[in-house]
Amino acid sequence: MFLSTLIFMPFVFALIVLFVPSKYIRSVSFGLALGHFFYSLNLLRFFDSSSHAIQLAQKIPWLPSLGITYFVGVDGISFWLVLLSTFLTPIVILASWESIKENVRGFHISLFALTSFMLGSFLAIDGVLFYVFFEASLIPMYFIIGIWGGQRRLYATVKFFIYTMLGSLFMLLAIIYLMKLTQVQFGQMSASILDWYKLEIPFVAGEFINTQTLLMIAFSLAFAIKVPLFPLHTWLPDAHVEAPTSGSVVLAAVMLKMGTYGFLRFVIPLFPGAVDYWSWVFLLLAVVGIIYGALVAMVQPDVKKLVAYSSVSHMGYIVLGLFVFNNYSVTGALYQMLNHGISTGALFLLVGLIYERTHSREISKYGGLASAAPWIGICFLIVTFSSIAVPMTNGFVGEFLILLGSFSTKKPFAVAASTGVVLGAAYMLWMTKKVFFGVESDLVKSEKLHLKEKGEKFDLRWREVAYLTPFLGLIFWMGIFPGHFLSYSTASLQHLTQSKGHYELQVLFASENDSKVVENNYQGK
Amino acid sequence: MESINHFSWLDVLLVSPALVLFFSSLIPLLSKIFNGNRETNSFSVLASALAGVVTALGLTVTLGSTHKPAFDGMLQFDGVSFFVSILILLITGASLIFAKENTSSNNHQFSEFVFLLLNSAVGMLTVLWANDLMVFFIGMELMSLCLYILIALSSEGKLSKEASLKYFILGSFASAILLYGVALIYGMVGSTQFSQILESARELILTSRIYLFGVVFVILGLCFKVSLFPFQAWTPDVYQGSPSPVTAFMATGVKTVCFVVFLKTLKILVVGLDSSHKLIEVLQWIAALTMLLGNIAALVQNNVKRMLAYSSISHSGYILIGLIVSGVSGDDFFGSASILFYLASYSIMTLGAFGIVSILEKNYDMQLQVQDLSGLGKRSPWLAGCFTLVLLSLGGIPPTVGFFAKFYIFSAALKYQLIWLAIWGVLSSIISIYYYLRPIVFMYMKNEEGAVLPKEKTLSFGVISASMVLILVFGVMSQPLFQWIISALGVH
Repeated sequence: MFLSTLIFMPFVFALIVLFVPSKYIRSVSFGLALGHFFYSLNLLRFFDSSSHAIQLAQKIPWLPSLGITYFVGVDGISFWLVLLSTFLTPIVILASWESIKENVRGFHISLFALTSFMLGSFLAIDGVLFYVFFEASLIPMYFIIGIWGGQRRLYATVKFFIYTMLGSLFMLLAIIYLMKLTQVQFGQMSASILDWYKLEIPFVAGEFINTQTLLMIAFSLAFAIKVPLFPLHTWLPDAHVEAPTSGSVVLAAVMLKMGTYGFLRFVIPLFPGAVDYWSWVFLLLAVVGIIYGALVAMVQPDVKKLVAYSSVSHMGYIVLGLFVFNNYSVTGALYQMLNHGISTGALFLLVGLIYERTHSREISKYGGLASAAPWIGICFLIVTFSSIAVPMTNGFVGEFLILLGSFSTKKPFAVAASTGVVLGAAYMLWMTKKVFFGVESDLVKSEKLHLKEKGEKFDLRWREVAYLTPFLGLIFWMGIFPGHFLSYSTASLQHLTQSKGHYELQVLFASENDSKVVENNYQGK
Repeated sequence: MESINHFSWLDVLLVSPALVLFFSSLIPLLSKIFNGNRETNSFSVLASALAGVVTALGLTVTLGSTHKPAFDGMLQFDGVSFFVSILILLITGASLIFAKENTSSNNHQFSEFVFLLLNSAVGMLTVLWANDLMVFFIGMELMSLCLYILIALSSEGKLSKEASLKYFILGSFASAILLYGVALIYGMVGSTQFSQILESARELILTSRIYLFGVVFVILGLCFKVSLFPFQAWTPDVYQGSPSPVTAFMATGVKTVCFVVFLKTLKILVVGLDSSHKLIEVLQWIAALTMLLGNIAALVQNNVKRMLAYSSISHSGYILIGLIVSGVSGDDFFGSASILFYLASYSIMTLGAFGIVSILEKNYDMQLQVQDLSGLGKRSPWLAGCFTLVLLSLGGIPPTVGFFAKFYIFSAALKYQLIWLAIWGVLSSIISIYYYLRPIVFMYMKNEEGAVLPKEKTLSFGVISASMVLILVFGVMSQPLFQWIISALGVH
């Protein structure tokens, strides 16, 4: 019940927000979201980090005639992603306190619905349930970008929706096909991922048209668009630039992780033969994405677009780590998922709060921001360090593990990817230098004066301090004591990397009631 | 004379829902005549008509899902007809409510309107129960003739007359073809009863060319009624020109009934084909082209009703996938179940959609453009929210009933190796997302103000809200509905 409560609590919040007087919407939402986050911390107590099983599971029949169940559970792979989602909601609400002015109620309802769907897709152990959450999460994000976004928001949001939908509908067909296979092989239809792991999916190496390869392509397409993997990334810069700050943060920090999580949960364990044979394609695209993303980021005149392209580059590392597939690289990839969530999330927040002050995102108009607003400068610098993986910050641990893993087996790709590290440092530092150091530009001067006349602070305000501090804390905490975090995932990841090709997971149900046996299966002829 | 010997009151009881509908349709008409041809209060007209519908519904439910022939085997009652009758009666009730609150249909001829609508529903029920090609044809004609007039009854001037005439001419043509097919089948089998056709169909379909011609003609006639690819051209004009309540009635009722008959036809007239048979191959192509054409044409429509008309064409394509599956799958009823589920959910969504259009329509001139919707999200949040939900459901996005409708259809297709059709269906539904999102963009994301100002229309609001609840409830818990359909199919 704990996980279901966690998933559906934000839905209830959305209903509550519907009836809260408009004056109190922000504070009530923030309180509820914070409560949800603290409630989710119970996961730390309930979760047994020494086991690789699916834990706290709950399974009830949903569509018994097709063997589809409402089946949720958590393991080391989804553990931190769940906490990341619940952690971000209150922060995003704080961050949009002043920037969202119109239709505040609708905004918070969308945000809560989004949180629900994201949690659902990380916790679903049933394929169809996963698909439902995965797909439904598009709707609130579509509204967040489309209603509260920037100038070209309509183009961006429709592109985002259709692009993502394109991939996932093929995944739907693959899901149905896997269900059909379970009926053929086990005599009973099932949509549970755990049953799918036991399937024997025919694979012929070197050929394109065989069941396992085609299924892998269908799943990969959905996740590669979500990640996004080069060359399917074009929706991302548009969506990021047009989205409001809060939308960008959730998109970058959590929604992109649905893609990499999907690779880890579905593609790699389900299709070991095909993944083994075709992994070079993924590695190549990942490395091209790393370098391409970095190079394009380097020439961006717009700060937000620069951060968006840096996302493309950083997500490339995660895919690289996943498909190199040894213990180090996969651990690094999972860690990097969190790191990217933290550092890119923080970068978007900072870009957003600078934009709120100056109403411009053009790098060339900036200069000397650090002397006008020293605290913003310090925060930005720390986050930049995390993003370019300076030791002692979280980014270093993730990238180091990925590259370490890659060097041991896939040397050429590792070498190529390492150049991305240098390029990454180059564009981030160059941008930081241009924006924060040097002489105060006209824009900075005039806006500073303008705010001073209005009696508002140009440097960090208390609300902003409140939502930036957790990020800065996590950057160092995760950078210095990675063990505190990784210990929850090692068992699952080790089990995944060691049992390649015969991956199976046990289930620990939260309570007796949570595992009603699914009867009454419709048996076709 | 034989039929009199077999006459039993039980038969009359079984068709009583249709009789009740017919008699209740006379009440407003008679009261108008006795009132010196003055229109009575439209509310009392609606009340008497709804009373008839509710009574018919009650009778249907009380009689339950029986498996009985009646009137010498001319009619046949079974689980499917039970399920679909309920659906038809609900659709009729909803359309009546919309009609009362729509400016173009609630005019000085509302009594006639109600009379025709109820009789069209009687025709639909007859088609559902028909166990004989002639009875089926008569029911079909009763249904269609009422509709031709219904469309023309609108207070709007040109468009609806044009639509009515167009539908009449093309519809008569299709009926003629269908009747010709019936004649050919009768010539080969020597009977028009389904049970006797079934006995010889398995052999005739492979040996007799004339029989095959007959079957093809019957199928063509049906293709016209459900607007499948090359016979879809009338749909947008007629849907646009008709008063929205009539469109709602046509798009849901006629389509549902005709597809159920189509299913019967495939099960009986062309029993036992495999997927390599030419006929099945042609149907596959029809399905593919219908989906593609409907969706691509809908992309460029600015008129909301035209857009919905093209979307309805594409939905026919999806349903045809299910039909093909049930045609090739023999005894397995998964394909049939997926069609019935699709029809039920399609009816719920479409009723909601046209109900909303009916509320939003400006007086007399029935042109609702997408641009008119601008800013509706602020002015009328509830209506805008409902329309959004309907559109997402039509697009097949979870967690709505439209998603599970497509899910079952695609499952059926993959189960019987119609993989290319499933992939094609998926591709065309991606196209459809674009035009389903467009009104949402206008309602919420544009800054300018649109023209429509919805008025307080309580009853229609109630029906729309009910269909929204069903979209969500069946979207989250589709099992009860699906289980009901499977048990309806299983009663033999």
